[in-house]
Amino acid sequence: MAGGSAISGLVGARVHRKEDRTILTGTGRYVDDVQARGMLHAHFLRSTVAHGRITSIDVDEARKVEGVVRVFTGADMSAITEDLSFAQPIPGLHSPSYPAIAHDVVRFVGEPVALIIAESRYIAEDAAGLIEIDYDILDPIMSTTAGLADGATELFGDVPGNVVHTDEQLFGDIEAAFSQADHVVEQSLDQHRWACNPMETRGGVATYETGSGQLVYEASTQTTHTLRFLLAGWIRQPIHQFRVTANNIGGGFGLKFSAYREDVAVCAAAKAVGGAVKWVEDRNEHLVAAGAAREEQLTLQAAVKADGTLLGLRVTMKLDAGAYPINPPATVYAGLVRTTLPGPYKLPAYHFQHHIVATNKASYISLRGPWAVETLVRERLMDKIAETCGISPVEVRTRNLITLDDQPTKMITNVTLENVTAAETFQKLVEMVDLDEVRRQQEAARAEGRLLGFGVGTFIEPAPGTQEFWAAVGFPFGSEPCRIRIEIDGKVTAFTPQTPHGQSHETTLSQLIADELGVGFDDIRIVYGDTDATPFSMLGTGGSRAATMASGAAVYGARELRKRVLEIASHMLEASVEDLQIADGVVSVKGAPGASVPMGQIAMGCWLAPDQMPPGTNTEMEFVADYDGEGGGFSQASHACWVEVDQQTGKIEVQRFLVVEDCGKMINPAVVEGQVIGGIAMGVGGMLLEHSAYAEDGQYLTATFMDYLMPSAPELPEIEIEHMEFETDKVVGSRGVGEGGTVLAPAALLNAIDDALAQVGRPRITETPITPTRMLELLGVIEKE
Amino acid sequence: MNTREITVTVNGRKRTVNVEVRRTLADFLREDLGLTATHLGCEHGVCGACTVIVDGHTERSCTQLAVQADGREITTVEGLATGDGELHPVQQALRDNHSFQCGFCTPGFVMTIYGMCEDKKAGRPVPCSRTEIREELSGNICRCTGYQSIVDGTEAALAGTAGKES
Amino acid sequence: MKPAVFEYVSPTSVDEAVTALSTTDDIGDVKVLAGGQSLVPLLSLRLAQPGRIVDINGIENLSEITEEAGVVTIGALVRQAVAGRSDVVRRSIPLMAAAIPLIGHGAIRNRGTVGGSIAHADPAAELPTVAACLDAELVAQGPGGERSIRAADFFTGFFTTALSEDEILTAVRIRAAGPGTGAAYEEVARRHGDFAMAGVAAQVRLDGDTVAEARIAISGVDLAPVRASKAEAALAGRTIDDAVLDEAADATVADLSPSSDLHGSAAYRKHIAGVLIRKAVRTAAARARETL
Ligand SMILES: Cc1cc2nc3c(=O)[nH]c(=O)nc-3n(C[C@H](O)[C@H](O)[C@H](O)COP(=O)(O)OP(=O)(O)OC[C@H]3O[C@@H](n4cnc5c(N)ncnc54)[C@H](O)[C@@H]3O)c2cc1C
Ligand code: FES
Ligand code: FES
Repeated sequence: MAGGSAISGLVGARVHRKEDRTILTGTGRYVDDVQARGMLHAHFLRSTVAHGRITSIDVDEARKVEGVVRVFTGADMSAITEDLSFAQPIPGLHSPSYPAIAHDVVRFVGEPVALIIAESRYIAEDAAGLIEIDYDILDPIMSTTAGLADGATELFGDVPGNVVHTDEQLFGDIEAAFSQADHVVEQSLDQHRWACNPMETRGGVATYETGSGQLVYEASTQTTHTLRFLLAGWIRQPIHQFRVTANNIGGGFGLKFSAYREDVAVCAAAKAVGGAVKWVEDRNEHLVAAGAAREEQLTLQAAVKADGTLLGLRVTMKLDAGAYPINPPATVYAGLVRTTLPGPYKLPAYHFQHHIVATNKASYISLRGPWAVETLVRERLMDKIAETCGISPVEVRTRNLITLDDQPTKMITNVTLENVTAAETFQKLVEMVDLDEVRRQQEAARAEGRLLGFGVGTFIEPAPGTQEFWAAVGFPFGSEPCRIRIEIDGKVTAFTPQTPHGQSHETTLSQLIADELGVGFDDIRIVYGDTDATPFSMLGTGGSRAATMASGAAVYGARELRKRVLEIASHMLEASVEDLQIADGVVSVKGAPGASVPMGQIAMGCWLAPDQMPPGTNTEMEFVADYDGEGGGFSQASHACWVEVDQQTGKIEVQRFLVVEDCGKMINPAVVEGQVIGGIAMGVGGMLLEHSAYAEDGQYLTATFMDYLMPSAPELPEIEIEHMEFETDKVVGSRGVGEGGTVLAPAALLNAIDDALAQVGRPRITETPITPTRMLELLGVIEKE
Repeated sequence: MNTREITVTVNGRKRTVNVEVRRTLADFLREDLGLTATHLGCEHGVCGACTVIVDGHTERSCTQLAVQADGREITTVEGLATGDGELHPVQQALRDNHSFQCGFCTPGFVMTIYGMCEDKKAGRPVPCSRTEIREELSGNICRCTGYQSIVDGTEAALAGTAGKES
Repeated sequence: MKPAVFEYVSPTSVDEAVTALSTTDDIGDVKVLAGGQSLVPLLSLRLAQPGRIVDINGIENLSEITEEAGVVTIGALVRQAVAGRSDVVRRSIPLMAAAIPLIGHGAIRNRGTVGGSIAHADPAAELPTVAACLDAELVAQGPGGERSIRAADFFTGFFTTALSEDEILTAVRIRAAGPGTGAAYEEVARRHGDFAMAGVAAQVRLDGDTVAEARIAISGVDLAPVRASKAEAALAGRTIDDAVLDEAADATVADLSPSSDLHGSAAYRKHIAGVLIRKAVRTAAARARETL
């Protein structure tokens, strides 16, 4: 492998996960498992109206309940906290700040209006039932259209016209593109709200030590350091007296990237009562209040030549931001969609306009590939172009894709593409599928009255992306640190700012370090989730960065320590560094196994008696590496999806799902496959089952798992994966795969359904989710209501 | 407070405890007995994270009251692996197949799959095909994995379980 | 999501239970607790806040399944899973045996009871639809003694039944299916194990090639399970073919006016009711033929 790391044994193997013993025996420590002496329990009372002014709140009866320690109204809370503000110096961004607990206007069903601290959750909920609140009801804004309408009620004084942000950007000569076009192909998509719904909801235990003034917040978060610096100011806690920790985390999917008003209130409450307070969001609260994603409406207009060649693209997007901004600012989502949308295709001209609109809903949040709609609309557009030009979905892509031979090249959005193999994964996919056979089977099925559909898609995943890419988006790329320590006995502890919650970083980072340093896999421990111990990073676990960034930091850190160990050993063994090797924690001279020294002996010398170590050597057995990503890069994949549509019931069965993916060098194929399959499951569930739905009056309709339908095992197909591992000359050739499945699967799936619809002469999908009802409406079997 | 004394055998150990009558079995196991392996993903019967074995059958612990467990025998995930750290064969099969990611749903799946293996031992019908396994797992929700690896692990666990000669 | 305070009693006889249900002084609502698979979630969501819970699980003789003189009696406390595995049920009430695997998931059926499902009267649930289809007799006991209620009179509306507050359902009685009878339960749910958007219970008795008797009930299309009398009439005395099935289904569907929700529109439910009637009757008839 060109220029590669000292990777040898473990990297690339299906190594058993370190995490599994803990999770399979139930010995993990999730937030709700924390039981501290004297710990109190928090419960939020939440608004039952979508938009209203609180005219009175009476908490007297609640305060009298035995076992209730404190009740905070919005005013009480605002007296001890600052309003949350995610405002950033972004031109045109209207990012209203807001209190931890509402005390004036409520803006969505589920907004916290009081916080009860009691001896048990049961008692806290009893007390909540006794609080009386009166509201003056205001008009709720329940769609972007309503929000943008002339004379619409404004949600905030400082968000004129409910427009949180609007912008348009032009790349290339769009007018010329359209004037040269043989066809103008149009498409629109109205995507519904759906949500992350990690199996562990949000939550945290805040513990305030009144003597020292220290506050510890053990949270279910994807990013301890960011949570800490955001919260510190809002809860008026000196940051050096504030520690944020995270242990086991039951999934995040983007949700747990932000800091939330509940975090603020729980931390402030712990300070106010002087002890430990636990808040664990229940599923009902989670569905109502934690926020949801993906609610975007896009229109696309493509200028194409008769042969399907793309000339230009005009896109508008309206994003339903819900009421309150969180981290990151909504401009990041718009920037991501805009920047990524051209994807791996040659596009000479591009115009993108967006409106981010405030509505009376829970916050718009990140969900696994928050930019995903770009792939969904682009890949569906490609199919429509194919249809318009009378070519196949394969041909239209092949004609427009950027191949390795075309690279390096720049996307129209000014992002350099290099080593991007989307076209190659697509080629491989096409080789694996006999398209003629697919069409023959469809025809045979139709003769029996059955309807089969087939769809494909391809994309690039900024995992981690590049400096240029993130600059275009408007978000820092950031380097990644890792602190590694060779302990006194030669075993290794590594500290990462990652906050893994299912991604298996304890395993993958150990594999990398084991191979680099020559120590046993079981002799390495990965420490994460503690702002007192881990080096700072703003990003934590998210954006599929770890495969490149955290891996790189670990590799560089291990490499530096290896160098130090070998230099010392070279003196001790009187051999040149080049002649030494490390295996199983023992340094030896190649070909002379007798001449060896255990790493533990070197480490002990370095820690206890550095002055007795060979002069001129570096005896620091701890090193913080910082990895810049070597320019970063992209993952890529192509998907093919086969569906059967039941024309009587409207049910859609995904019969087969094929993935060709390339995330570079796989550290652990089992982990890669887990991410890919889990991601696809989420994408399929999002399109067919899940819906975070509101009634017109702003009431929330899917507040239990009986109504918010998560896919279960029978709803999902077996997924076949073909790996490609394009290798570059970078030290770390691994790219992320955490989000891609969720990003691309909806496109392949909807294309397959559209393909089925086309066979019976029916129009394409323009709205999601594709419920059985919608499917029969699309098929013309039943009338739309 | 409205309480009652109950006697329950949990993971082979008999416990006599005074519980508030409104407490769910799940909260009793987690909070009163400190057995936090049993997780709560929804508290309304849908997600299966709280699945335990009660008198030989898989049941939700969030949809029954602790007082109802009086006189009954309960097994939780804590009751599977032996003290010396050896995984139960079901757990080992799931580990071998990289079945899980974040681990939150995991105890519920382990108990559901353990229940299937116990059924097999007792000569009761168990799922055979992957499709049947998927149906049998439909009462447990996992947000991370897409289930395929869990189906792999279940197949392996069932294959490694000897059934009663019938 | 934690239950509110209530008083808990666990009687060991039906009489004691009835007493606990009827002496309610200032207690407020009193609720029977059977399998708890519907009630406990409602308690946790605080959608139900009864003053007293009467847990009937400790009552001994409510868990039996017996067959006598062509009538099967299923105790109210029989777990759905037990009923589903019971030889008596499989032989004599094949419709119930077909319906039970469609209820939720294994762990739900291990705890949920036959009586609880019927008393809960969810219009989308399987067992109330089976009871309606087979003209089950529902045996109730209250302070005034025991009475038997016909299914047609039992399901009075949305989650409501003819049981009075101080009565408990003790058993379900269903006439055993004779030779020449076949049954099928067909439904469409969003996911495996979900409450159906609509379902159809059908039991067909054949006399040679002609239908001697057809019983059909539909779930999910009204406030309570609906008997498809027009379809039953349309099938009686006929040989089943596509035209007859169409006639039967169309006759029934025309009368339905289901409501819409997030999971299925009214038009959708109406449509699939017709689809499912055809499917269920066809399957039931095929099974009937196998027994001949
Ligand atoms: C995830 C999930 C999925 C489910 N899916 C389905 C499904 O697909 N189909 C389906 O039919 N059901 C489904 N259920 C509900 C399940 O079948 C319940 O078991 C059933 O509805 C109620 O029975 P129970 O014994 O649990 O009753 P409980 O929950 O104890 O009681 C339900 C109601 O009936 C009353 N009651 C119970 N027994 C008596 C009695 N003997 N006399 C008088 N009143 C009584 C109670 O007071 C209460 O109001 C599901 C439940 C869950 C949690
Ligand atoms: S927590 Fe019990 S089923 Fe979800
Ligand atoms: S492993 Fe995360 S929910 Fe199943």
